[in-house]
Amino acid sequence: MKLWYSFVKELQLSSKSWYFYIELGMAVVLLLILLFVIPKESDSRRDEYLYAGDLSSDYIDLIYRGILDEDDEDGEYERVEIEVGGDMFGADLFVTDTRNIYFVDDREAVIRLAEEDKEVGIDIVLGSDGGLKYRYYLQGYESNKLRNLYMILHNNKVNFKFVDRHMDRQTVKTIEENPVVMNNRENVIPVFLTYNGSLMGLFIIAAYIFLDKQEGIITAYAVTASKVWHYLLSKIGVMMVTTMATGLIIVVPVMGLKVNYLLLMLLVIVTAFAFSSLGLVITSYYRDMMQSFGVFFIIIIAMVIPNISYFAPSWEPVWIKWFPTYHILEGFKELISRGGDTGYVLLVSGGFFVAGLLLFIFANYRFKKTLTI
Amino acid sequence: MNRKILAIFQRDMKVSMRDFIALYIIAFPILFAIVINLFVPGINDSTVNIAMLEDDDSEHIAYFKDYALVELFKTEDDVRHRVEKRDNIIGILPEKDDYFILTQGNEPEGIVDFVKTLRAYEYFGVTSSDTSVEFVDLGRTIPPIKKLLVNVAIMLSSVLGGMLIALNIVEEKVDNTISAINVTSISRGGFIIGKSIIGILVPIVGTISMLILTGFGNVNMVQILMMLLASSIISILVGFIEGINNNDVMEAAGNIKILFLPLMGSVAGAEMLADKWQKFFYWVPFYWTYKANDMILSKSGTWGEISLYTAFVLAISAVVFVVIAPKIRKGLEH
Repeated sequence: MKLWYSFVKELQLSSKSWYFYIELGMAVVLLLILLFVIPKESDSRRDEYLYAGDLSSDYIDLIYRGILDEDDEDGEYERVEIEVGGDMFGADLFVTDTRNIYFVDDREAVIRLAEEDKEVGIDIVLGSDGGLKYRYYLQGYESNKLRNLYMILHNNKVNFKFVDRHMDRQTVKTIEENPVVMNNRENVIPVFLTYNGSLMGLFIIAAYIFLDKQEGIITAYAVTASKVWHYLLSKIGVMMVTTMATGLIIVVPVMGLKVNYLLLMLLVIVTAFAFSSLGLVITSYYRDMMQSFGVFFIIIIAMVIPNISYFAPSWEPVWIKWFPTYHILEGFKELISRGGDTGYVLLVSGGFFVAGLLLFIFANYRFKKTLTI
Repeated sequence: MNRKILAIFQRDMKVSMRDFIALYIIAFPILFAIVINLFVPGINDSTVNIAMLEDDDSEHIAYFKDYALVELFKTEDDVRHRVEKRDNIIGILPEKDDYFILTQGNEPEGIVDFVKTLRAYEYFGVTSSDTSVEFVDLGRTIPPIKKLLVNVAIMLSSVLGGMLIALNIVEEKVDNTISAINVTSISRGGFIIGKSIIGILVPIVGTISMLILTGFGNVNMVQILMMLLASSIISILVGFIEGINNNDVMEAAGNIKILFLPLMGSVAGAEMLADKWQKFFYWVPFYWTYKANDMILSKSGTWGEISLYTAFVLAISAVVFVVIAPKIRKGLEH
């Protein structure tokens, strides 16, 4: 009962602090950004600007038909106007599933697009041998691999019909016919829940405790009937409530009913518990925020590293799995992607609960020991 | 007078160094620079990604490595696991005497066709030397993503400088030394200058180290310093007002967090939004700083342009100053 009163009192106090509302406000702002700025599906098509105006119409027809055949497009191209540095130019636009190909009426426009807008500009001319030559206007920072790819794609060694026939013979195996893939908005949610949620507890609880240390509240516990662990747990409780509130502000409008909220809240609560307990342990070794800033700085920077492999899956060294945030990110990802691995989420939750409990017991021991200092 | 200002600066430096805070704020851009150097080459390669087995035929692997980003794995299961991830990567795995292509199922058809085409070219013995392509190089060597990250890091280090001021003032408030300043011979202006030096110096050291580490050491440092000083004014003003309005570190840190929104917002706006939306960012000083830094880093800015953008930042800072100066003055009186 005392624990409950202590928790309610802490909640009331923090609900009066400016910081509490900054957190909620930030969650709302992030939600607005998610809903109105980040597109659900990003268009990963690359723009290419070509000029083929010096070729005869037969050649141009051949190239156009080549593009339409190559990508199995049943539609025709469309006539568009493009703007280059304030001037308008006409172009024929072909949209394939990987590229937007513009055949621009003016060579100058293609060169200007490459120079001013850093686009890929290609000038197709007739070579001395009667074949087509592709002149690519590149920025200079393109990798050798990309240059090689451009080079081999326009080769004069093999007839495309043979290549086509070989491509038809190749075996393609597909892992899932219709895999559920998280859209851009859903993909950001695990990162938000991990860093603005779980990890936040680490830093904020420290700030709360240091404030109380300054005001002598902690020392006062030495002469009250209330237990130190009540005080510590009620602080953690406040962190859990804040994390749940900010998490729900983001998740509910974006995901609706497509998430198992029970499991989601379980993971949010146990991770907030573990990181807040870690925050308590660190806090018990320092006098104020300024002194402990370094430790928090290093921990937070280290915890952010798994984020890189989350967004760039090609970089995932084995040691990254030793970082707790890696498993939190993966756990939230499993929850957000439909049909995720429930067993993994429960395992991660169990792990964080045990780790949190051990840290909490140690923090309690530390605080009891240093109470009168 | 100058000696007293210097004394305030030295005191702040001593406190910040003792708690390593200044070091961390200097270390931040350097850490950022290391991360940029490590990851940008990978981001820059906008080619096809292929997963293969590491014990596959070495010539076969080498062929694909010439044209694609190849990741090698020990077992078929590892390749499968990699293909299942969110990005578009295609597996090429051996089967009997041939190979098969492994896809997740959601890749654009064009990417699968790219890999199929490469396999066909390997079969027919086509290489890049059989090309009908010629390149015209425009001589730009710095990838845009690297420039963007360095630009953001410069702006962040200036904001962190403001945070350093805020933290120092909050600490003075906690120790009740602000009111003590009023009875010393230093003027309020002197106090403000003394407190500001650290918020300018620390970002300058951090930024220059980062520029050198990321290969931007040859940009016009005078222009960079001019822009950094102009944008520091906003950070300093915010640092002061945060320090004065907040009674504890937590509130100050929270409010600085809010400052990151217009910063990131103006970067996103300048990079992603069409021209017609740009005017909505004109009021944000970070917007002009970002644009000016971009020109300086790509060495395309004239002195006239950089001076104009600096003037915009200074003008916005002046407006902010007029609004908040009375509050700062009042805050220092207590």
